[in-house]
Amino acid sequence: MWLQLLINTISLGSFYTLVALGFSIIFGVTHTFNLAHGELIVLSGYLAYGLTRFWETPFAFTLPLCMLAMTCLALGLLALFRRLREPYELSSLVFAFGLALVIQNLMLFFFTADYRRIPTSGPPIRLVAHTLITRNQLWLIGLSITATVCVSLMLRKTFLGKALRAVIQERETARLAGIRVEHMNRIAFAVGGALIGLAGPLLGQSAYLHPSGGMEATLIAVVITLFAGAGRIRGLLMGAWLLALLESGTTLWLGSNWRELVSAGILIALLIWKPEGLLARKKSAAEL
Amino acid sequence: MSPPSSSRSIALLVVVGLTLVLWPAGGWHTQLVCRVLGFAFLYATVTVAWNLVALSGLISLGHAAYFGLGAYAAALLDRHVGAQAPVTLAAAGLCAAAYGLVVAVAFQRLRAASYALATLASVEIPKVIADNWNSFTLGSLGLVGTRPLPAFSVAGMELDLAHNITAQYYGLMALLALACILHALAIHSRWGWALRAVREDERAAAVLGVNVFATRLGATVLSAALTGLCGGLYAHLMGMTEPALVFNLHISAMPLVFAMLGGRFRWYGPVLGALVLYGADQLFLHPWLPAGHAAIYGLVIMVMLLFLPKGLGS
Repeated sequence: MWLQLLINTISLGSFYTLVALGFSIIFGVTHTFNLAHGELIVLSGYLAYGLTRFWETPFAFTLPLCMLAMTCLALGLLALFRRLREPYELSSLVFAFGLALVIQNLMLFFFTADYRRIPTSGPPIRLVAHTLITRNQLWLIGLSITATVCVSLMLRKTFLGKALRAVIQERETARLAGIRVEHMNRIAFAVGGALIGLAGPLLGQSAYLHPSGGMEATLIAVVITLFAGAGRIRGLLMGAWLLALLESGTTLWLGSNWRELVSAGILIALLIWKPEGLLARKKSAAEL
Repeated sequence: MSPPSSSRSIALLVVVGLTLVLWPAGGWHTQLVCRVLGFAFLYATVTVAWNLVALSGLISLGHAAYFGLGAYAAALLDRHVGAQAPVTLAAAGLCAAAYGLVVAVAFQRLRAASYALATLASVEIPKVIADNWNSFTLGSLGLVGTRPLPAFSVAGMELDLAHNITAQYYGLMALLALACILHALAIHSRWGWALRAVREDERAAAVLGVNVFATRLGATVLSAALTGLCGGLYAHLMGMTEPALVFNLHISAMPLVFAMLGGRFRWYGPVLGALVLYGADQLFLHPWLPAGHAAIYGLVIMVMLLFLPKGLGS
């Protein structure tokens, strides 16, 4: 049972990392509080569902398609977000709240309120005696870790990554140093959009899709970002796995319905503990 | 504001008010419109309550918590104790006020986006509890069969709030009128100036002798109590209370949308927003687009933020 809990935690935690990574890159670079993050993930999930259902696209092919579509959508949204006025953080939060409502209702209109699930690709694999790992979980772990490593390498090893980290740390100084901040905003939204596009089909395959299911994912992304700080990948991984462990444990001992309380409770506790929210950060570059 | 435009807006308000008062006497689809506008009055009251907090400079995304708690308090008392409507409504207000007190104290150091986020999360706690405490709240099935409001007579006139939609219409209108007086006070009275001072500059307000914490606490508790009362009324009017219904994101979004659309700094602004948008949504958009009509609320938020000259501040 303990091994099963561990496997579930790792797969859930990897997925949470993916969810939080997109949010934290967008937030860290552009200060856009994308409250519609979860809704966009669910939208991407529905897109993948539609592709597999109506055009019988293999699951592996839906991933690049969804990533491409969500990247384009994110770049379109950036153009709208840029028009918002000060205070930008709060304005973007309220704007994204409106966006979340619009997306929810569009999904309700096109896909109705029924629960949908992308069909699984095969029977679960038996590891040892009573421990099973489903193919979804393998997809989830493999792709999430790959994406996280890719983003991590990009941030740490490339010149572009260096520029992005500079913008995350100190926008104005980065601008003075000759970094084109507007350009970095576009790149952050593109990367964030791609990560959203990747997370959607994985969500649709391992859980049920429902038009109002996005807010939970958003809360999870916010909790983990708040815990770790924007763009700190090791912190994100740790936070995600910790949250997944807490949620798996709660599901195991109290039942799956109480799970939703965990992220909301942690979010409130974190906010009371760090009332300045996400923006108050004084960190050295080495931490990123 | 210059005198001519002021007198014109007063004339406009008188016309709108008279139309609303006289509508049940014979208008277009009287029963339907009265039903819809009655609920518009209810949500306008919630909007006024929401704006009390917003006037102190905090955007709340969690008024569904107060609304749902009020609805559940009323419905549970009605079901388990069989209490009369005045008792259940008072309990609804008190329950929500207690939660408002907790929110105001716990989130006293949060501002702007952090506050919005914390209130958004604060809805989840009562929601999940109502959703899962099967023996007490009947879980996600919700409470059905809450008794309607009682009939009583005022000055020789029979006011049957239980079944007569016109009576409900006037009852809710009276509630809204009281809320409007409260709202006007929150803008124009000494307390209103304290709220404004806290909103504009907390430190300066504190220097001038305004107790920032107490002002916000008062506004939040009052707002929560009024919202809870509306939740209780909702439970009695609808006769059913479900977690997914009363703790819905839309209940939190509605006051924000209405207040932004109508204007937050006039006493009639939130009411205007609620009447126009809720009326348009329910009377025209809902029949035409049954699933997904509520996208209009999100769309209004986005458009207002993009095109209003001062964005959130207007």
